[in-house]
Amino acid sequence: MNGPARIRALLMLCLGAHRALAQSDPEIDRIPVGSAVADETPTANRNLYWQTDFTYDMPRNDLIVPLSPPPLWEARGFLDMRLDRRLDEHLSAAYSGRFNLRAEDGLGFPNRENIRNDLREAYVAWTDNEGWFVQFGRINLKSGVAEGFNPTDYFKTRAVVEPTSIDPAVLREDRLGAVMLQSQWIGTAGSITIALAPKLTGDSPPYGNDALPSFNPMFDRTNARDRVLFKGSISAANGVSPEFLIYNEEGVTRFGFNLSKGFGRAIIAYLEWSGGRRAGLVDAAYEEGRSTGVLPAEPAIPLDGTRAFSNDLAAGLSYTTQAGINLAMEFDYHQAGFSNRDWRNWFGAGGRGELVAGELWFIRGFAGEEQEPTARAGLFLRAYWQNAFIKNLTLSSFALFDLRDGSSVAQASADYYLSPRWTVGAIVDAYGGARDSDFGSLPQRGSALLKITRYF
Amino acid sequence: MFKPTLMVPGLALAVATAAAADSAHDIVARADHVRNPERPFRVNATVIEYKSGQAVDKNTFAVYSKVDPSTGQFRDVMVYVSPPRDAGKMLLLNGGNLWFYDPASRQSVRISPQQKLTGEASAGDVLSENLGVDYTAKLMGTEIIDDAARQKRACWRLDLAAAGDAATYKRVEYWVEEASYNPIKAKFYADSGELLKVLYYRNFVKRGDRISPAQAVIIDAVDSALVTVVDIGELHFQDIPDNWFQRDYLPHLKLD
Repeated sequence: MNGPARIRALLMLCLGAHRALAQSDPEIDRIPVGSAVADETPTANRNLYWQTDFTYDMPRNDLIVPLSPPPLWEARGFLDMRLDRRLDEHLSAAYSGRFNLRAEDGLGFPNRENIRNDLREAYVAWTDNEGWFVQFGRINLKSGVAEGFNPTDYFKTRAVVEPTSIDPAVLREDRLGAVMLQSQWIGTAGSITIALAPKLTGDSPPYGNDALPSFNPMFDRTNARDRVLFKGSISAANGVSPEFLIYNEEGVTRFGFNLSKGFGRAIIAYLEWSGGRRAGLVDAAYEEGRSTGVLPAEPAIPLDGTRAFSNDLAAGLSYTTQAGINLAMEFDYHQAGFSNRDWRNWFGAGGRGELVAGELWFIRGFAGEEQEPTARAGLFLRAYWQNAFIKNLTLSSFALFDLRDGSSVAQASADYYLSPRWTVGAIVDAYGGARDSDFGSLPQRGSALLKITRYF
Repeated sequence: MFKPTLMVPGLALAVATAAAADSAHDIVARADHVRNPERPFRVNATVIEYKSGQAVDKNTFAVYSKVDPSTGQFRDVMVYVSPPRDAGKMLLLNGGNLWFYDPASRQSVRISPQQKLTGEASAGDVLSENLGVDYTAKLMGTEIIDDAARQKRACWRLDLAAAGDAATYKRVEYWVEEASYNPIKAKFYADSGELLKVLYYRNFVKRGDRISPAQAVIIDAVDSALVTVVDIGELHFQDIPDNWFQRDYLPHLKLD
């Protein structure tokens, strides 16, 4: 024993004369030796990754309302980029986009559909560094707290282009922003936001993934109408954090609020509502179809011809177990969705030939483009488990039920982080229900996707 | 507060006097001050996870921290720097309100303390715990314990009970060195009483005018093969406006 160590031992003996000597902790032996850490280059203001995926679709052949089946397979590779750079003390610039190479069953090669670019965001931002922010350009402005259906997410309409998954969480990521001027004040008591998104081009009819332009920024999807959003949030002392919204589109106003609150250590409750005068889904679809010249003046199924105050609601709870499994349950209500009469009319008109079928699918497609459910009442369930069973394996699943007919769409996905830069994953979707049900009437029974991602 | 040390034969007496003078709360508050100063600061932290002695995962965060003068609690924004798949994600910890921000969706989602406990930043939760405010402390006595380097340390042993929802753990056992008020070791327990984590602070270094730990070692008590080492970088004192701790601010936050 060397000198200092001997002195230290003597000191310990002095101290130990009147105090407990705790047992040596066996856990210390588990501490790894050395932990040299290389310096990291901060990359928090940029994300760049390449993803390759392959999808196999399983079509349904017994449709009441006939529709061409989806492509049997699709292959895609894309470079996804997000940059946010400070230009000086007050100015910054942001870009977000995805460059796609794609091929699919029935799509000729070469074809303009083989190469596509989605310009999600491109804007400049100014701040006084005290709490004021002004942004101009194409901006993804999102609102809402619910997991399955966001009634107050007013800028979601027609914004989703060729998503990699039908998961609502992914749909919120893969979408185009609207060209707007946005001003926001953020204080300690809350925030106020105003966004002005002007009409820049004429409206266009909904178009599917087989007719997407290659490099056109698709302002017809995001800036075909004058839109204004005003919203304010409050940082309530009890942790509720409500947000209130007023949205105006071409003179028609809707109101909304959303709030969430934690209960104890494991439960989060949330509520989201929006209301305003609007047409039902069938009327709104025909209004759109006629104005863009793709639907005839004489409808295939009866219209209401009225506008009434209509409510949208999402109310849910999430719970996290001690093992880290997050479970969520959400009730969704969309008053403008199909009524029982609308469903009867839709299936009843289905046998009247291809031309009528095209009109009927236009209505369903319109609801999809608007990112709103066809059903009036739904139940959304989700389970999410990070590091499931083994380190770096994430399992996720969700199911959406139409409460009218019990039909459902369900998804299970798995992602495994091979390394900090490589991830592999798989997604399986399944649509269930009777032929004359919401999800059972869709043209596919399910699909499977495999993907590999490289982060840079 | 701290009494000057007498000559060696009287050392035990001096420490005992200090223990009598300091309340349990004072001891925890002073140890909190060693871990996190009262001035707002930014620090880079690298979290390396070991499985059976092999490094299996590494995450880097930039952490902005500031005391809320109305509650005395630390408020933190943790910005994920690496790995690349997580870069730009943020965790806002403001009292009992926890928000997770993902730049891909540009949305902030409220999460529960349990999600914080089991999420990607779970290693950071024991470091961001504000023990002096979030827990009620009781002095249980003094002990000589081994620190992470198996050096003997004369410590106060304290028993901390959760004082409200802001506390992530139901109970914490805490050892604070009598001579320096350095936090040496902590044991974190679940609601069920099960031991979840054992934490050691080590590599105390002088940075500027203060001494603080440069490393924390978190030993998982449930999975015996799992150990997490957190390298705590140099603290950079800077002004952090209070509105940074609003969820709406997260999309605007940029690392310099």
